[in-house]
Amino acid sequence: MDVMDQVDAPEQAAMKQSLQPRLPSPRITKEETERRKLENESVLQQEPHSLWYYSWRRLRRNRLAMAGLVTTIILVFVAVFASDLAPFDPNMQVLEYSTEPIGFQGNVLLVKSAVDSSQTIPVPITSFQVQSGDSVSFMTVEGRAQAIPMSRLAGTSESEWHKTPIYYFGTDRYGRDVLSRLMFGARISLTVAFFAEMCSLLIGILIGALAGFYRGWIDDGLMWFTNVVWSIPSLLLIIALSIALGLGLWQTIIAIGITGWVDMARIVRGQFFALRETEYVEATKALGLSNKRTIFRHILPNSLGPIIVIATAGFANAIIYEAALSFLGLGVQPPTSTWGQMIHDGYGFIAAGSNWGLTLFPAFAIMTAVFAFNLFGDGLRDAFDPKMKR
Amino acid sequence: MVAFVIRRLAYSILVVFGVVTIVFFIMNLLPDPSRMMMGERADIATQTAIRHELGLDLPPWQRYVRFIGDVARGNLGRSFTSNRPVLESIWERFGATATLAISSMVLASIVGVGIGIISAIRSYSLFDNATMLFALVGLSVPSFVMGLLAMLIFGSWLNWLPVSGYMWQGGELHLEYLVLPMLVLAFQPVSIIARVTRSSMLEVMTSDYVRTAKAKGATWKSIVFKHTLRNALNPVVTTVGTWLAGLLVGVYFLEYIFNWPGIGLQAVDAITRSDFPIIQGTVIFSAVIFVVINFTVDILYAWLDPRVKLS
Repeated sequence: MDVMDQVDAPEQAAMKQSLQPRLPSPRITKEETERRKLENESVLQQEPHSLWYYSWRRLRRNRLAMAGLVTTIILVFVAVFASDLAPFDPNMQVLEYSTEPIGFQGNVLLVKSAVDSSQTIPVPITSFQVQSGDSVSFMTVEGRAQAIPMSRLAGTSESEWHKTPIYYFGTDRYGRDVLSRLMFGARISLTVAFFAEMCSLLIGILIGALAGFYRGWIDDGLMWFTNVVWSIPSLLLIIALSIALGLGLWQTIIAIGITGWVDMARIVRGQFFALRETEYVEATKALGLSNKRTIFRHILPNSLGPIIVIATAGFANAIIYEAALSFLGLGVQPPTSTWGQMIHDGYGFIAAGSNWGLTLFPAFAIMTAVFAFNLFGDGLRDAFDPKMKR
Repeated sequence: MVAFVIRRLAYSILVVFGVVTIVFFIMNLLPDPSRMMMGERADIATQTAIRHELGLDLPPWQRYVRFIGDVARGNLGRSFTSNRPVLESIWERFGATATLAISSMVLASIVGVGIGIISAIRSYSLFDNATMLFALVGLSVPSFVMGLLAMLIFGSWLNWLPVSGYMWQGGELHLEYLVLPMLVLAFQPVSIIARVTRSSMLEVMTSDYVRTAKAKGATWKSIVFKHTLRNALNPVVTTVGTWLAGLLVGVYFLEYIFNWPGIGLQAVDAITRSDFPIIQGTVIFSAVIFVVINFTVDILYAWLDPRVKLS
């Protein structure tokens, strides 16, 4: 291992600077020599750490990767707390506020539903006035004057039943808040990607491990199967599967999950091929350990690096596939909001050049999520691979 | 060489056989297509007739054998909506897809290799860092999102290029319709090819024979083009081949968004119409094209680099 990896980041920066050839070359002062001596001693005194420790340290130094990680954490946070963070109910339609621009401020009275008084309906108005006889008169958006008894309003004080909410990202065709729908869309996107990737991970590791460990006809058979799945364009296979399985959250997860394991199987197989030849695997044989134990306790933990790297890439792909499916109307069904579906709804406006936010915001959300994951995955690859040093 | 070709060919056929089997199983999960074909008012007799015609009254294994036989003879069934042979309608549309895929792949190869070379020569320079970050962006944007953005910016806002449509209109060639989908489609392969070229070049540039070339005083032109590039291009060839295969069979969304009448648009239309034979046919056709291209690339690779045959 390089000395550079065993010193702390600030020290390392200092070292790098001191090691860098400069013109005219700086004279090495006495203090500098002392400092370097101390540094070397501290390196020697350091406890040896695990591969994970050094990987994490390399990762932490990679600014782009950390930016990716932070973005991912924010996305997960938004997805988990969508119902608390979202300013609106994502499915609440206010038809009067159809395709309003970014930053539009609504003006509504919250009225109890005549059917179910626990539900409130927002009634868009232009102005209102509290009348003496316990009723409120108001002007609708269409310009009609109407009145409603106080008892029908949701809440007792004016601040409770009169709201002027701001639609930060505008509204869609049905007058639903785009920002809230984006937040809830993150939920679907990340849920599908997470479980689909878990599914791919399981299948890929199993097939790769069996093929790489047993070799021979098992390897031939499993690799044939892997090549078959690889030959079918993933998107088409996912589409065919989700049509066959029916539409919905779990069907989408399964369709994406049982398609995306090919890369994983190949990487795991390669790892097993290489690791089978190592001394410690030889030792497990000599000790008479079962194959199951050798595979899961000895070889697999040692191939975790590449597995994690492929898994992050797979996660990013799963987000794209989910968006693609729901763009086609095949994924999770409306009214649940998904990014792909939002793009599809907004796409019709593009030719006209209007309401571009309806397409751009969900598109940007997908790009951000995938980009963040790819950055993080790239950083992981560099961190786990000691040869890839920058 | 001949033995190698025969072995690869046999394996390719085996893979296609596997694809057909998987498609058969997936399509067996679907609800009985006879209901979809006969419409609302058909009677039981009609249904029985349709079921018999499609072979749905046979036991599964007989259906499977029949299906394999049909596919082997190039019979992919008939479309539910147009009642035309599926292979015929796919073949008819394939030209449009191939035009789009091949033109973007040519563009992507030239631009990608160019960027890769410059990035490798000036590694860790501003150009390198900027283009590699840009390449990562290119990989992160799904093609349909990129297509929509391109439409929005170049079509609607700047009004430079037509938003959607095919380049052949009334027997006339309108190349401006090709530009936008071609550029969007080329974006991802450019990113990948640039990355592969760069890392492969960097690897070769640290090799002993390049150092020797430098030591004996070869010009940098000769080092880059004669010593490095030639040896670095092998992984690039594989990448280009795989991507061409991928593009030829995977441009569904772009075709759909740009209204480009290839096999992708046809397949997406078939989804909305529940025209399963078209979807099934497209899956099989795409897989066959994919396998054929990979077979060709393998052979080409073995021919270019004799070491491959040994493995």
